[in-house]
Amino acid sequence: MLKYLKEEGLMGPRLPLLLCPGCGHGQVLNYTLHAVDRIIKEDKMAKEKLLFISGVGCSSRLTSHYLNFDSGWTIHGRALAVATGALLANPEFRVVVFSGDGDMASIGGNHFIHACRRNMDLTIVCMNNGLYGMTGGQQAPTSPRDMITTTTPYGNPEEAFDLCKMAEVAGANFVARWTTAHPHQVVKTIVKGIRKKGTAFIEILSQCPVHRKANPADMLETFKKMTVPWAKAKEEDKDKIPIGEFCDHDKPDWNASYEKILDQYKS
Amino acid sequence: MPKLWIDERYCKGCLICVEVCPTSAIASSDRINARGYVIPVEKDMSICKVCGLCELMCPDFAIAIEETDFK
Amino acid sequence: MSKGPQERHLLKPGRYYLQGSEACVEGALMAGCRVFAGYPITPASEAMEHAARRFPQVGGRFIQMEDEIGSASVLIGASWGGAKAMTATSSPGFSLMQEAISIGIISETPMVIVDIQRPGPGQGYITASQEDVMQARWGHHGEGSIIALAPASVQEMFDLTIQAFNLSEKWRTPVLVMAEEPVAHLRELLRVGARADIGIINRSKPQDLGIQPDDYLPWGHDVVAPMANWGEGYSVNFVGLVHKEDGNVTDWSSEVNCNCTKRLLSKIEGNAREIAQIETRFVEGSRNFVISYGSVSRTAIEAVMEAREQNGIDLGYVRLKTLWPFPEENLRAAITSADTIFIPEMNFGMMRHPIVEALGDRCRNFVSIPSLGILHSPELILSKIVEVT
Repeated sequence: MLKYLKEEGLMGPRLPLLLCPGCGHGQVLNYTLHAVDRIIKEDKMAKEKLLFISGVGCSSRLTSHYLNFDSGWTIHGRALAVATGALLANPEFRVVVFSGDGDMASIGGNHFIHACRRNMDLTIVCMNNGLYGMTGGQQAPTSPRDMITTTTPYGNPEEAFDLCKMAEVAGANFVARWTTAHPHQVVKTIVKGIRKKGTAFIEILSQCPVHRKANPADMLETFKKMTVPWAKAKEEDKDKIPIGEFCDHDKPDWNASYEKILDQYKS
Repeated sequence: MPKLWIDERYCKGCLICVEVCPTSAIASSDRINARGYVIPVEKDMSICKVCGLCELMCPDFAIAIEETDFK
Repeated sequence: MSKGPQERHLLKPGRYYLQGSEACVEGALMAGCRVFAGYPITPASEAMEHAARRFPQVGGRFIQMEDEIGSASVLIGASWGGAKAMTATSSPGFSLMQEAISIGIISETPMVIVDIQRPGPGQGYITASQEDVMQARWGHHGEGSIIALAPASVQEMFDLTIQAFNLSEKWRTPVLVMAEEPVAHLRELLRVGARADIGIINRSKPQDLGIQPDDYLPWGHDVVAPMANWGEGYSVNFVGLVHKEDGNVTDWSSEVNCNCTKRLLSKIEGNAREIAQIETRFVEGSRNFVISYGSVSRTAIEAVMEAREQNGIDLGYVRLKTLWPFPEENLRAAITSADTIFIPEMNFGMMRHPIVEALGDRCRNFVSIPSLGILHSPELILSKIVEVT
């Protein structure tokens, strides 16, 4: 996968990634590049069609200067709006949006809802670590109740946001959730998401070992224990987080719908 | 016997690869890289099944089995 | 973007009777704009509604976004995706767009934002105003400069919007069209010339200059860098962080910071002579002047002509067509010495500041003539002129 990262020296050292040791986001990048590799090989997709857009945050840093693809490291929370603009300019782009839970669900919440509602033809890879990593570990809308963070020193008095439910209700074609401890599932799901027309929202629980003050390998074990494939969930799993593919529709994406308007004037 | 590839410059010593290796073919070590991180080393590559998990799950693209198409 | 049969839906040469907002959108289409993103706000909604109808007719795409922040962000993505893009909003929406304008400036993104100003602050009202003219220059956070034009007629809503796109493509910068409610809602004659006579400027491309992807510097090569867009094989990386010419964002030393922002400033301020424009009438030999811009110029010229003919006051008329970069050199060339300079504005004296800076050594008496929420009548301006002179 090294060929998908920029050569050392062109824009600063390609590697190591500036992320902390054991950060799940590095793993998500690895999984994404494996998925992209499959798409390029199996679907014979031209590299030029791929476009990676991100907002601001640790997860969004993946596009800051590492990728050997067209990319955009844009405004905090507005990655989806910028990606929408790119698709308006050129509906042929295959867009992958890297975002974090804060970037997507907090400041970017409005654009998240509407990108899913419009079913824009995007693949959203949302790396959810339940906090704001880049700025020092503050609470995020996805932080669980009672969690101690720098802005919830007495424990979080709020409920966590279920991003997948929101994406599904808003109208995304394809919604799934995995964790960094499920590498093969993530790769397969991202391949499916990129191939999918319409919005593919893929939430990946990703570990932040530094702000959670835990060992990354232990956090991966915890991810496996605290989640359950939703189709196999039993009564005793009710406190676990459901993972898997939640929905898979084929509603027309925004550009497909707009084509009908453009067709009236094409001849 | 599969050959291990580790780029010491990029490894951050998170040891996820060591934890997820199903056969424990690699292990932690006393080797410290230039940035002060503990680098994993081969323990017994004859039992490596080339499953690819170390390469897939590394957050820093720092480890792979040479027989795979990782470059 | 689509070319070909749909181009026949552009306005053909001839005379039209259109609203300012509509003329603005027609000018954009003529300039090659094919992406419009907007959000409803009075008094700019007509521009968006006209765009919703017209853009698909010429093969463009229109989207109503969930808010103004989204609209401005769409412009970034569309421009880097290779299209000319615009939005139209009013003052409260303009405030929301500042972050996107800021990143548009540092990333040197061609984009056009039309602000049909309304009174403020806050919800203010929905009538006439010029209260955003300072925000146009300083509203975005950070250093850097911007181009802002002030149309004064329906014809200029057409012409200056074309010019806005040309300037944004030529200088790789966001360009603002600072209109007001009167000129946006006014219906007047619009003359559209032959397509071949309308000069259209497109961004310079590295492909056209023979620069290969391996040698390409996204913010280098020239004062205005040729712009490789997404999808062209240049693996180009859009960033908003201070950067070096090759896009390197790993060095944020004071030197890199300074060079990056200095480049943005000098690109526009350093070329103000070429970019900025004014219109002058009766300036030869006049001792007093009225400097106005936008819709106010329509009544200001009335007042000036009446003052000259009926009251015998030697009064020159200067109209700022470009607000930013401020046309200091043009003004100083037109006005070498003055007794009084009158500045009618639909605010309490915003453009007065750069005017005084530019001409303070040549005139000692600057008189602001404010009118808030409503366009000046010629009588209001004339009475002040008569009172003072």
